[in-house]
Amino acid sequence: MSSTTAPTAVARRGAGRPRRSPAVAAVLGVTALVVLVPLVALLSSLLRPSTEIWSHLWETRLPGMLVSTTVLVGVVTAGAAVLGTALAWLVAAHRFPGRGLLVWLLAMPLAVPAYVSGFVWLDTFDRPGPIGRWWSGVAGLDAWYPTVRSLPWAALVLTLCLYPYVYLLALAAFRDLPAGRWETARILSGSRWRAFRDVALPAARGAVIAGSVLVALEVLTDVGTVRLFNVQTVADGVFRVWFGLADREAATELAGLLLLAAVAVLLAERRAAARQHEATGGREATRLELEPVGGRGVLAVVGAWIVVLVALVFPVGRLVGWTVEAVQRGTTASAAGGIDHHLRSSLVVTGWTVLACVVIGVAVAVAARWGRGRQHRALAGATTLGYGLPGPVIALGVLVVLAAIDRTGWLPRGTLLVGSLVGLVVALVVRYLALAVKPAEQAVGRVGQSTEDAARALGAGPAGVVGRVQLPLALQGLAVAGALVALDVIKELPATLLLRPFGVDTLPVWVWEASSDSRWVEAGPPALVLVALAAVPTALLLRLTARGRRVDW
Amino acid sequence: MGEDRRIGTGWWRGAVLVALATATLATACGGGDPESGTAAEDGVQPVSVYIGRHYGIEPVFEEFTAATGIPVVFTTGKDAELRERIEVEGANTQADVYLAADAGNLQLAADEGLLAPVDSPVLAEAVPERVRAADGSWYALSLRNRTIITSTDRVPEADVPTSYEALGDPRWKGRLCLRPSTSAYTQSLVSSLIASRGEDGAREVVDSWVANEPTYIDSDEDMIEAVSAGQCDVAVINHYYVPRTVAEDGPIPVRLTWPTEPPGVHQNVSGAGVTANAANPEGARKLLEWLATDGQRSFADVNYEFPANPTVQPREELLAFGPYTVDPVAVREFGPLQAQAVRLLDAAGYQ
Repeated sequence: MSSTTAPTAVARRGAGRPRRSPAVAAVLGVTALVVLVPLVALLSSLLRPSTEIWSHLWETRLPGMLVSTTVLVGVVTAGAAVLGTALAWLVAAHRFPGRGLLVWLLAMPLAVPAYVSGFVWLDTFDRPGPIGRWWSGVAGLDAWYPTVRSLPWAALVLTLCLYPYVYLLALAAFRDLPAGRWETARILSGSRWRAFRDVALPAARGAVIAGSVLVALEVLTDVGTVRLFNVQTVADGVFRVWFGLADREAATELAGLLLLAAVAVLLAERRAAARQHEATGGREATRLELEPVGGRGVLAVVGAWIVVLVALVFPVGRLVGWTVEAVQRGTTASAAGGIDHHLRSSLVVTGWTVLACVVIGVAVAVAARWGRGRQHRALAGATTLGYGLPGPVIALGVLVVLAAIDRTGWLPRGTLLVGSLVGLVVALVVRYLALAVKPAEQAVGRVGQSTEDAARALGAGPAGVVGRVQLPLALQGLAVAGALVALDVIKELPATLLLRPFGVDTLPVWVWEASSDSRWVEAGPPALVLVALAAVPTALLLRLTARGRRVDW
Repeated sequence: MGEDRRIGTGWWRGAVLVALATATLATACGGGDPESGTAAEDGVQPVSVYIGRHYGIEPVFEEFTAATGIPVVFTTGKDAELRERIEVEGANTQADVYLAADAGNLQLAADEGLLAPVDSPVLAEAVPERVRAADGSWYALSLRNRTIITSTDRVPEADVPTSYEALGDPRWKGRLCLRPSTSAYTQSLVSSLIASRGEDGAREVVDSWVANEPTYIDSDEDMIEAVSAGQCDVAVINHYYVPRTVAEDGPIPVRLTWPTEPPGVHQNVSGAGVTANAANPEGARKLLEWLATDGQRSFADVNYEFPANPTVQPREELLAFGPYTVDPVAVREFGPLQAQAVRLLDAAGYQ
């Protein structure tokens, strides 16, 4: 039986009463403050809405924005859920040549930022690209050709970039499915499909939902890909209003709408997760026996390889092509420096952000566990709100707060938070802390209350419990937290662009500098290095999924 | 049993993670601030620039440093976001110079009090009154013309539109490519229409464009591609993309023409101002003066733009496009009309 259920029983006997220590409240309070202050600074304008702009928006673009946002988020989330679950089941329960390789390759599209995939797709499939020119040659200029800069194509690209979130989590869930239960269900129901529907799928339900929530939030807050494909979402609208109408207040009001949507998604997940039955068998249960594929299964394998081809090989292949061309032309440096300069910037920013997110994530998780009160949980939840807002909105909120601190004169003379690495890392922590908190909560939760009580009984203080007992057990969860944060920070552009100090120019900044000018060939080298770098945390995530006990994010 | 094994592997993974983190942080400390080396060189205070025009800028700054001994540090970004950053940073701003690729953003920065007027005889002489702030808080450094391109394969010479209004002619239905309304270039063009024809007149023009069901492409370079590949026959772009594309890829079946009907060619600028709270206003002024005089060639030529300084000749490739008449309205007038232009575009259903 799973050890996750054990501590509750012990706890109920009274050993683990909620503790209301000031330290716990302080940790949660300070963290929540760091995350919430920038958001509040921005969203306070919601209290006095400028109705005039709203009526203008309502009469013009807002209805369309709401529709395209809903459709895009819905289609991509559903697509990623179906694709991710199906692919995970294929590799988790079946045996076929090349399976080991496919398990890895199917996770890797996560390393390709959607905005990079987006411009690769546009450059290839839009009318002026090679495919369009070929079609014009064959069928003539007046022949029908799909509108590539449109919602369906944006949905396709986003789905192909984001389905691995679902895939990785579902894979872990399927691996934990006890073989005995699966076999029984198969025999009783007489059909593999029905057994899958009745036993395997429910076991993965929580995982699929969690993955889908990540996908939904990434799409909701996307501002790069949607613009490439002319999709007017609410997040895009924030920038139309902010920079087009030069109205920051109205823009933040629109961002508030986005935040509400994100909160709704997170609450829905919570409800869905609460209804989930404990379906995993833990490590002790025997794993599924891999079945050979046959008949239609072969088609599924072919389909999976097509996904790899389209979502990974194709974009990376074009990036390689551009890189070769860039090397031949000798354009392998940006205005700021060469690959080494940008790679170092990326590593520095990612390293500090990951470290900060993991440390703070653990602090929040431990505090929430010890406090266990309703307010504590609410505070812990509040620290994750930043994930529901687009990067530039967070960046501006953080900028406003840091600049205010700079003006107080509390800091030593000559030190400024704005334009410092600290400022940038704070913004990225606000944005991505959510990704670290959930795995950290599980990592901490994994430690049985009995272990904790035993440790305390043996004289270990709170610090000893955390350091010597809980942390070692939790390291796997922390690695997941770190990898998830790293994956997003490596690809992050808007907040970095706005807040980075002089001399810190990450790889995405270079990609943006080149691609905002449609200089695809020059965007090749940094984009390729970026993908290679993002492949590291992706591989780590897969590895952590494939081995040991399961950590859901 | 199983529990022990888990602890073991946990530690192992943790060690890898810690090692990775350490390595990263070590790089951080060792790598430090690559820019600071130049800055500290001779103890001369560097000029720091927030720059929205990032193409080919580094050699220009290097030239300035070679000529004056003043080092330059810069950070790239989007015009509007950099302006926001300067505003929020206030007295502590790290920018001495705000260099943007759009007059609208420059004038907005000036209106928000982010730029300090520079009283410089050099700049006053080098930069014409039409392309600078009334109070000298910013100066144009190069000029870009928003103009019309047509396909040489499918549009005969006689049919080439001679004004922005002519793009609304029903003959271009389904054949027109335009930049979306999120682009500062579109906003600035429509602002100029409002300035010359009033709001109702501008709305009429925009309505006629929308009625032609344009294909919206958020990249001037991609619009050149679209015209040469036959996706559209006519498009509106900034002039310099044409010579740049020709220089890189050879001849293209695309013809560039200047609108000849009054008020003439809509012009925008790359320009710069000294920030109100600059730590090094003296160095900043020198940079602006140098860019407007000795640096004109490099600054404008690298991007095939027209020099702002009328005494400096444009590149030969540009002379080949022939003379043009420019819209006489001062470019600073477009900034305040920007929000009005965006609302007009919203209402017209322009993407």
